Amino acid sequence: MKILKVNENNRAKVIDEIVQSLSRGELIIFPTETTYGAGVDATNQAAVNKLLSYKTRREGKPLSIAVPDISLAEQYVELNDTARKFYATFLPGPFTIISESKHKTAQGVESEFGTLGVRIPAYQLDLDFLKAFGKPVTATSANAAGKPSPYSIEDLFKNLSDKQKSLIDLVIDVGELPKNKPSTIIDTTLSAPVALRQGDVVADGVARIEDQEVDFISGSEQETKDIAKRLLLKNWKRIKTTGLIVGLDGELGVGKTVFTKGIAEFLQVKDTITSPTYNYVNEYDFVRHEVEGRLYHFDVWKVGSKEELVRLDFYQILKPHHVIVIEWWQQISGFVSDLEVGLLEVRLSENDKGQRELRVRQK
Amino acid sequence: MNEVKTILAFDTSCDDTSVSLVRGETILVNVIASQVELHKKFGGVFPTVAKQAHLENIEPSLLLALKRTGLTLEDVDAVAVTVGPGLAPSLEIGLTFAKNLAKKLKKPFIAVNHIEGHLLSPLAKRQTRKIIEAKASKKTHQKKVKFPVLGLVISGGHSDFVLIKNFGEYVRLGFTIDDAAGECLDKIGRMIGLGYPAGPVIEEFAKLGDAKKYEFPLPMTESRDYNLSFSGMKTFARNLISKIEQEAQEQGKIGLDKQTIYDLCASAQYGVFRHIMHKLDKILAKENIKEIWLGGGVAANQTLRKLLRFKANQHGLVFKAPYSKKLCADNAAMIGVVAAKKLERGEVIIGPRAIAKVDRQPRWHVGEELK
Repeated sequence: MKILKVNENNRAKVIDEIVQSLSRGELIIFPTETTYGAGVDATNQAAVNKLLSYKTRREGKPLSIAVPDISLAEQYVELNDTARKFYATFLPGPFTIISESKHKTAQGVESEFGTLGVRIPAYQLDLDFLKAFGKPVTATSANAAGKPSPYSIEDLFKNLSDKQKSLIDLVIDVGELPKNKPSTIIDTTLSAPVALRQGDVVADGVARIEDQEVDFISGSEQETKDIAKRLLLKNWKRIKTTGLIVGLDGELGVGKTVFTKGIAEFLQVKDTITSPTYNYVNEYDFVRHEVEGRLYHFDVWKVGSKEELVRLDFYQILKPHHVIVIEWWQQISGFVSDLEVGLLEVRLSENDKGQRELRVRQK
Repeated sequence: MNEVKTILAFDTSCDDTSVSLVRGETILVNVIASQVELHKKFGGVFPTVAKQAHLENIEPSLLLALKRTGLTLEDVDAVAVTVGPGLAPSLEIGLTFAKNLAKKLKKPFIAVNHIEGHLLSPLAKRQTRKIIEAKASKKTHQKKVKFPVLGLVISGGHSDFVLIKNFGEYVRLGFTIDDAAGECLDKIGRMIGLGYPAGPVIEEFAKLGDAKKYEFPLPMTESRDYNLSFSGMKTFARNLISKIEQEAQEQGKIGLDKQTIYDLCASAQYGVFRHIMHKLDKILAKENIKEIWLGGGVAANQTLRKLLRFKANQHGLVFKAPYSKKLCADNAAMIGVVAAKKLERGEVIIGPRAIAKVDRQPRWHVGEELK
């Protein structure tokens, strides 16, 4: 591993070293306006594999890419009007803008939804080496999964294993960075933009998936599924640690089962999800990123007491690695309180344009 | 000796506890401890979830089956039970009971798929003798089946097209990707305010209505597969009903008038059946089929039977459906019929250890191996 300290006089040399290192498929640690990042050539599969083993368990969390300007971005993602607006307003800056990917990066960079996040850092050194390199570089914070965001090289190394350290080829050290939060991530692939992660800078009028209450608009069955997948990804950790109840409400034919199909696709359930009305509950085993679990799909329209839930073995299944989707949730929500499992309530309705409105509450 | 075996069969796949005794395709008794009466007390809205009821009903149902036939447990040659698909806690009750009984009686145990039961339910025959002998000495004559058969299982829980190449050889050609056909009608009935499940009421009201009054969409005409989808019809019905209600309100009326309800029922039922017939046409155009069999709760619907019988006649095919309404519902007699075929093929589980290993399979599709 080579450590380069940046000063007034060696900028050109540093940029040259970075470009050469990236060209050799190496892993670099570099400063940004948020945290230190881990970068490799996002189009080089071997280099991306190296980064993925450095970052350890990703379980579907995508990487994103850093580019110097919008024209390079456009070679890798489809920019819609919403995305262009965000680029114009917020980039360069601490934002990651997600668009439909053109699938030109190495495997493991774009999300499993086929989308890709793009960052144009407001950090001159980065813009310079990205411009010189001419290809996208992965933009992910340098910490391993589950470890704090690194603002200095000492911070970072404290939390790295020897094996992880051995994977690093070049470190660009500029000392301690200001403690800015990681970038705000905005997904522009849905009908209305959604912030998947909130950084220091707030985009006005953008719904935040982390909020206790967040609304979505869906223009199609596919989009209803896409929204379900994003909500599940956001709750993946909770699924593993406590289990998750997804309580669905809304009239017949509004799309509750469609939403559940999105959840099943996210969980990589192989079977077809069909209505559980007749059976009360259908069960599906899933394996997602080597995590085994079970999806329960309930229709509790006919259930009116706590006793009946007991008879459905309901309370026994509230545990880690279980996702419990419940249609007609309000019917039983009163019997399900103070539980250890996570809760996501989704109320679906149809507006006068024929779109579906999804009102999400997270507890 | 050419003796027909007596099979004791159980089904606790969902709401109803059922116990039956069969010999080959002949049904000696088919007890369904229906909770329907229980449900009515709650206006058909909040039925007791079945697990407890199965526990309470299974033994009395068995005793009733024995009493009606005059047989004893000593006359039983094999014990059969539904292991899936169905509601897991309910399946568990029947499975445990049947396993223990097979072990106690030291008789072969037969694990049966519930959908295979519905598929073969049209084969079930009435017991015609007045007195049931302890041992049947003669095999009754069975009409030969011309394979391949196309089996339709249309119920509140399932809508499957299954190619029956032979007994025990099944290919799932198509299935619903969301609601079952019967469920779609039940739910539309619910929107109209006919209670739940509304299937039988819809059939009655449909007779008084105009099936062409409201044109329901024909789903999945673009897709080349044989799958069904009913969720779009549900959405269509919801929007249609709210439109009609609004119009009624503007005219100063309250709610839906009788004839409108009849027309809605007739149109919805026609829409659901049209979708099934459309996919059936596709299958008949492509696959080599000799007979059409219909099973499942909606098999009790005379309109559907008529449509299918007409279609079968057009193509010169044999059409079969269960001889009674009871055989269309979830029942153990059809499980017994499947078990009889399995017993003939030697597909039985013998010995306490092997029996103990059998587990419920809530998502067991017909045509798949037992896990």
